[in-house]
Amino acid sequence: MSTLDVGTYSPREKGVVGLLGALAALLLVAVLTGVLAPAYLLYLIGLSAMYMLLSMGLNVQWGYGGMINFSVAAFFGLGAYGTALLTASGSPISGGVSPVIALFGGLALAAVLAVLIGYPTLKLRDDYLAIASLGLAEVVRIFILNESQWTAGSAGLTGIPLFFSDWPVLGDLTYPYVFNVGGTPVFNMSQSVVTSFLNVVLVTVIVAAVYLFLRRIHQSPWGRVLRTIRTDEDLAETLGKNTFAFKMQAFVIGSLIMALAGVFYSHLVLFVSPQDLQPITTFYVWVAVILGGTGSDRGAMLGGFTIVAIQQGTRFLTDTGALPIGAAPFRLMLVGLLIIFIVRLRPEGILPPERELIWPDSLGGGRDE
Amino acid sequence: MAQILQYLANGLVFSSIIILGSIGLSLVYSIADFANFAHGDTMTLGAYGAFVAFGVFGGLGGTVLGLPVGFFLSLAVGMALAAVVAVLTHIFVYKPLDTDSIGLLITSIGVAFVYRAVLQATFGTDFLQYDIRRSGPIPVLLDTLDIAVTQRDVAIIVSAAVLVAGLHLLLQRTTLGRKMRATADNPDLARVSGIRTDRVILVMWVVGSALAAAGGVFLALYSQLDPRIGFNILLVVFAAVILGGIGSVYGAMLGGLLIGMLHELTPLLSDVGLPISNAYAPAVAFVIMVAVLLVRPRGIAGDMT
Repeated sequence: MSTLDVGTYSPREKGVVGLLGALAALLLVAVLTGVLAPAYLLYLIGLSAMYMLLSMGLNVQWGYGGMINFSVAAFFGLGAYGTALLTASGSPISGGVSPVIALFGGLALAAVLAVLIGYPTLKLRDDYLAIASLGLAEVVRIFILNESQWTAGSAGLTGIPLFFSDWPVLGDLTYPYVFNVGGTPVFNMSQSVVTSFLNVVLVTVIVAAVYLFLRRIHQSPWGRVLRTIRTDEDLAETLGKNTFAFKMQAFVIGSLIMALAGVFYSHLVLFVSPQDLQPITTFYVWVAVILGGTGSDRGAMLGGFTIVAIQQGTRFLTDTGALPIGAAPFRLMLVGLLIIFIVRLRPEGILPPERELIWPDSLGGGRDE
Repeated sequence: MAQILQYLANGLVFSSIIILGSIGLSLVYSIADFANFAHGDTMTLGAYGAFVAFGVFGGLGGTVLGLPVGFFLSLAVGMALAAVVAVLTHIFVYKPLDTDSIGLLITSIGVAFVYRAVLQATFGTDFLQYDIRRSGPIPVLLDTLDIAVTQRDVAIIVSAAVLVAGLHLLLQRTTLGRKMRATADNPDLARVSGIRTDRVILVMWVVGSALAAAGGVFLALYSQLDPRIGFNILLVVFAAVILGGIGSVYGAMLGGLLIGMLHELTPLLSDVGLPISNAYAPAVAFVIMVAVLLVRPRGIAGDMT
């Protein structure tokens, strides 16, 4: 029996793929015709990947487990600050550590904070959790802003090295590169393009690994228990599940993915400041998750991409003078209206998770599971 | 000693602002049953409404409590504007929604962004001030108690007290107030008893937003005006509401008083040797909020309406 035909792709899924394909083609044309600098395109890809990570992290907490975490910016910030403080030449406490090691510094900070925030708040009612986590995230931001002897305060941290700077082969590459096709130089690749390209390779690997990991655990018994908790926590409790432990695990996993996004951001943008920890970052990620489809990892990725499209697209529109108002209020308006209309018109999001949750094996012969 | 008195005086002013904000938040929380994240931006909206109105009425003669009569007129305009916008938002955004309290909470974030975007697009992000000359501390208080309190501070405290007293009379002495208390207490029971709860809910939005706007106006008067003042103070207001007990108007008043005082008493911590600077005042409020949620989730005033 199969009323839900999950084996084939829905028209909407095909539409999304088509739209993304068209956009990719458009960007490629823009690069080839010289409208868009290759380095900028690669930066955009990196930024999108970062938002995809943030959205996937939040999706573990809200989409799988139903926890309203409004401290996304804090975990992102701890990942970013963790690695920046350890690696940056301008770091007030250490600096000079290899980014590969610093990565774990950022993750460790986030894990500690996740337990510190999660332990008192995960037992709270939904809306209290939202308010409390937003408050605790603000405490983190206020701390980073004011303890300048450790964090460089409002000035932010500069002098963060590229992730690959101390890799023997990649760090020594000489620039610029020229691609020759039939004797004519086609592409002049400057250093920034090469490093951006390395960043894209790095983040693609991270995103793919995280996506596959999440898909696996979401379909596992662990993921099913979390979904039960989301639907009916009392029921899960009655079935003998330690709901608090499950929620805490999901909370920490999600927070670590957010911190990973922060680590990557540090080495992409090479600058972090308390500005990056503003609550607005949290709300952007929330928009990404509910737009993509709560509980859907594919949706989280689509949402993360959409956020960057909104952020950078509005910048482009203002630059061309097509907007009567400034980019910042326009973006805020767009995000606000987007939230209102999603909840009103498509609360399940663009790519709801229904098919993701089914083991591929069970799709084939119409067997009942 | 004079130092502590000074902190307490500052606390009283700040508390007045927080109380005005928290009453409305608490009303909406109990009636519409969601944490309204747009409440802070409603405060900002009122402050800008009064700012524009003050450009029109500012010239009106006479002063009350050291402030021009035109200011109080502008305050009323700001309150009315916020009430109208809130009612329209309720009718066009929240009411047609078929969602739970979390959906409403998330929607209210969108609403907050839209409010702020409109203000930011219209007025920019620069700091603004009501064009009222600041006067020095009141000499009598400076001489006798050695504390610096301006006429403006007194005006804020007195105005807030008048508004709160007005709300108290409305709730306790009028039929409308009784209906409001009944609806807040148990909307279903109120409905079957023949109260037109739809109308009562509209009144709640009007009262809550008008008081929020007044809080925003006083906040802008106390410090300055920019599109983020309301959102920046929202969590402190939430702290007050949670401390007082969600859904309880009088609890919100008490919570607002306490949180406002604690906020301004933060410097005492460094006086007694704890290295916690003023910048942590909101952080102290948030930590208290979380502590209250853990120990006594119904707040100090419980379900008293």
